[in-house]
Amino acid sequence: MENDPILRIEDIKKAYRAREILKGISLSISKGELKVLIGPSGGGKSTLLQCINFLVMPDGGDVWLEGRKVNPHRKRELYGYRQQVGMIFQDFNLFDHLSALQNVQIALLRVKGMDKKSARERAVAELERVGLGKHIDHYPAQLSGGQKQRVSIARALAMDPKVMLLDEPTSALDPELIGEVLAVIKNLVANGMTMIMATHQISFSSAFATEIIFMEDGLIVEQGPPSKILSSAECARTKEFCSKIYDLHGEGN
Amino acid sequence: MDEWQFFQSQVFPSLMKGFKVSISLILPSAFLGVCIGIWAGSMRVYGSTWLRKLVDAYVAIFRGTPLVVQLFFWYFGLPHVGIYLSPFAASVVGFSLCSGAYQSEYVRGALLSIKKGQMLAAQALGFSKWQMLRSVILPQALRRALPGCGNEIIYLIKYSSLAYMVTCIEMTGEAKILASHYFKYTEVFLAVGAFYLVLVSLAGWFLHHLEGRLSIPGFEHHGK
Repeated sequence: MENDPILRIEDIKKAYRAREILKGISLSISKGELKVLIGPSGGGKSTLLQCINFLVMPDGGDVWLEGRKVNPHRKRELYGYRQQVGMIFQDFNLFDHLSALQNVQIALLRVKGMDKKSARERAVAELERVGLGKHIDHYPAQLSGGQKQRVSIARALAMDPKVMLLDEPTSALDPELIGEVLAVIKNLVANGMTMIMATHQISFSSAFATEIIFMEDGLIVEQGPPSKILSSAECARTKEFCSKIYDLHGEGN
Repeated sequence: MDEWQFFQSQVFPSLMKGFKVSISLILPSAFLGVCIGIWAGSMRVYGSTWLRKLVDAYVAIFRGTPLVVQLFFWYFGLPHVGIYLSPFAASVVGFSLCSGAYQSEYVRGALLSIKKGQMLAAQALGFSKWQMLRSVILPQALRRALPGCGNEIIYLIKYSSLAYMVTCIEMTGEAKILASHYFKYTEVFLAVGAFYLVLVSLAGWFLHHLEGRLSIPGFEHHGK
């Protein structure tokens, strides 16, 4: 039971016109695992994450959540599925017209149909958990990038997701703001959240990932535990990419 | 002094009578126009293909024909198929539908200006399309559409003067009767102009106030 995957995807394909973005990706993730997607930009990481919760409709392939196959063409099922899969975007995508508190509680009210009092309590608790208890009434325009990303994590967590998908959560942040977001993600790892994350934060990944997946040109080139991928990758391309990213971000980060 | 006497005893009472009729035309028409505009604008962006085409056709017809022709259709045309509207009802129907067509264009523009990320975030949280429209997209879009929608309401105030063409005697209608009776066109219509100016100024003040009320950080005006 422990090793049954929470989320499994099989042979996900996506093409825009003649350009194949994903050429058949399969992977599965079990409870409490953190799988990190690395690879050059345009390699399909972002599209893959968006295909997993059908923000981008894949051309082919299947997704199973807790052993149940998801049919994205049945709307109710799709909306229900998405509530269980949290998504964090590179550019936060907070609702611009809502305060931090309202951002977190709106889906609880409108989607989950919670009453106002419990939705508010839950939202406040989640914002406190990401260290924003003092900023609940601030609007996105009044928050820093790091704070915005933490609100968006609180917003996803409030839905009690079974899996979270993080699409380069720190790429749009100033270097000094990256730490506060990574600290929150570290906390999620420690609390056993299951996550698939695309990132260039290689030292973070080497410390916390269960597995690193190297993707390029719409295919998984290589995957394995961080120790293997980062130091003794079998594929020359993986090695080259990892050494470059090490040069850029350093090991001390 | 004669002129003042004439204004006090004749012009002012008549125009006040017409003013009340004008207000009773404008308020429901503006409200219905905005409602129709929000609905039609939303359908033109998020509706199914056939609905979109249907609403596009509605807008094309009501923006593409003179309002007077539309009013004549509602008042003189419909009786041919057995539907009789009072002058007042015909006017409100005509104004609302015409205004709604214009409003939908402001709403549509504002809807299209909302960043795609806002929709992705809503979808990712499990919002259905209509929940997303109601809770995320429209509250943002309507703030952006407000100056344009207000502009259309100001237009409506003035084109409400066409109601007298279908015998709904509002302010301009009263003025026309009065002016032709005493043959004092200049005086009477200058007074009418002043009445409309007051109305439009009031509406402008109200709309400005509303913009201020709805302003939130990130959606405020960049001017001033």
